[in-house]
Amino acid sequence: MYKLWVAVKKEYHLLIHDKAGLILMFALPLLLVYIITIIQDSAFRMVNENNISILVVNKDEGEEGKNMIKLMKESGFFDLREDASLEKRNIKKELEEKDILTSLWISSDFSEKIIQKANLVGSSMLTELGLESASNSEKKLSMPQLEFYHDPVLQENYCSSVMNITEAFLKTIEGDLMISELCAQLDLKEAPVQIRNILNDNQIAIKRFSTSSSESEKLPNSTQHNVPAWTIFAMFFMVVSLGNNIVKERLNGSFIRLKTMPSSFFLVLGSKMILYMLVAVIQVILIFSLTKITFPFIGLPELTMPGNTTGFILIVILSALAAVSYALLVGSMARTVEQSHVFGAMSIIIFAAIGGVWVPDFIMPDFMKNLALISPLNWCLEGFYVLFLKGGDWSALQPVVIGLSLFIFSCLALSFLKLKNEKIV
Amino acid sequence: MQQNCIQIENLSKRYSGSVTDCLSEINLSISSGDKFGILGPNGAGKTTLISILCGVLEQTSGKVKYYDNDHAVNFNMIQSKIGFVPQEYALYQELTPLQNLEYFGALYNLKKNKIAKESRYILDRLGLTSVADKKILSFSGGMKRRVNLALGIIHQPSILFLDEPTVGVDVQSKVAILKFLNELNEKGTTIIYTSHHLSEAEEFCNRIVLIDNGKVIIKGNLQNIMKDHKTENLKELFLEFTGEEYRD
Repeated sequence: MYKLWVAVKKEYHLLIHDKAGLILMFALPLLLVYIITIIQDSAFRMVNENNISILVVNKDEGEEGKNMIKLMKESGFFDLREDASLEKRNIKKELEEKDILTSLWISSDFSEKIIQKANLVGSSMLTELGLESASNSEKKLSMPQLEFYHDPVLQENYCSSVMNITEAFLKTIEGDLMISELCAQLDLKEAPVQIRNILNDNQIAIKRFSTSSSESEKLPNSTQHNVPAWTIFAMFFMVVSLGNNIVKERLNGSFIRLKTMPSSFFLVLGSKMILYMLVAVIQVILIFSLTKITFPFIGLPELTMPGNTTGFILIVILSALAAVSYALLVGSMARTVEQSHVFGAMSIIIFAAIGGVWVPDFIMPDFMKNLALISPLNWCLEGFYVLFLKGGDWSALQPVVIGLSLFIFSCLALSFLKLKNEKIV
Repeated sequence: MQQNCIQIENLSKRYSGSVTDCLSEINLSISSGDKFGILGPNGAGKTTLISILCGVLEQTSGKVKYYDNDHAVNFNMIQSKIGFVPQEYALYQELTPLQNLEYFGALYNLKKNKIAKESRYILDRLGLTSVADKKILSFSGGMKRRVNLALGIIHQPSILFLDEPTVGVDVQSKVAILKFLNELNEKGTTIIYTSHHLSEAEEFCNRIVLIDNGKVIIKGNLQNIMKDHKTENLKELFLEFTGEEYRD
């Protein structure tokens, strides 16, 4: 036991001497978790919490344009501004100058044409019912267009959402007008109000459910993604420190000296694994506790810890072991400190990018989602997602646990074979 | 009659991918208490031989027996009795000499008190007490070489292997190292070492083996060899047997 204690102590002394490695493992990820969360949070809020800014240019000479604006205002979806005097050619400039993302142009004949349509539909219905003789009026009207302008940076789905909402309001107006027209032609004065009431009172509601199995459902936000994601990144960045540590020992002859001693090489590897596992656990405690305490003070969403504590500890340990095993593999394979340093750091940055650390993989295209599966950081992150966003269900954790265990075993086995090939073990 | 502590029989070594033997049919016996020099030009096979003797490399064929036991069978049993000082600084320069000694002492299965006692003694004898708590990174080449030696003898080995222990050090460090090695030898430690410094070897060794191209050229008691070959010094003897051609 004393031997192991001294070996771990030696690793500790080597680690605290490695100032650059410590900065990469602690300071850099902490800085990144704050910066990226702040940036992503503002984007997240813009899409999810802020109303859509829209400039409505209402040139309509009737009342329906105003009704349209009223519906938009009442919906609460829009941060609506009106400017009826604006010319069409100046809309683009106005959007740029006033920092508005979208604009809706309502033409001057909007009311006239939509009423004409209601009249036509109403007359056609009465004709079909035999209550009115067929007229010779045109069946096809020249309908006006609403024009939708948007900032080019807006994503397609964002634009589609705005257009769909507008279209829904348009249908509401058309429906209202048709009922009114039909009732007017049948001389039913109170009917429109009653029909509207019946329609409103008997709407089919859509109830929304999140698929989380947790009792307290948590919505994904920048904090719930970034804190675990950058903690995993921090853990895996130990490849720089531990990888260099192993390469140095291989090159300076310490491993050779060890072969002449009555001690197992696994004691040395074991001591490294113990110390760096501790480092990983400290990283988790540090990043999670700091962000939990400080995020609410800087206006970021508070970190909500998962209810499945055992699952959380298991995923932390497996993630730490995966990071340590990967670092051992890089340290065993690299021929020089430079190789270990460059390959180790670059591989983690690439694994982080494709593994969904920078941006969550659920917003990636399908082929990138498949590519993400080759990143061990993605498996770790999936484990944290299950815990933080899906209620920590054990059956959902099972594939993560199996995948990470296989990764750890593979890395350790490959490291052993390489060192055996070099006759170090 | 002195006991043989190492008996080498028909030892050969061929590295994978090589078509020639690095060591060929080496037969040697080293007695307890010897100060045994393994000498030869560059590429002769000195480091390979010493690496096989202390278990770093495996021979292709032949046997090494320690105290009449087979190397392959009993090497684990004698690991605690041998010390190895490689040519490289096989130590942690980010640590202090005391931290290095504590680590390597523990790997030799020494207890905490024993390590502390031996460390104090060795560091004192090698003139390193005043820098015992300083990081080795700041040390001169000579000081590093002395720490490298200290790490190989922390467990008081019966047989000490040294590969070029004085290479690249100043005269003062060299004198200190050799003086200390003589002291260890007087206390019963068998010393087996390689060196390029022939005058140093002549002064230090009682027995030598001269190898060239992996083969033993000459071996035995140094004084007797010089007497038999009527040479005044080891350098003359060396050149007589190995020639003056470059060995790069």
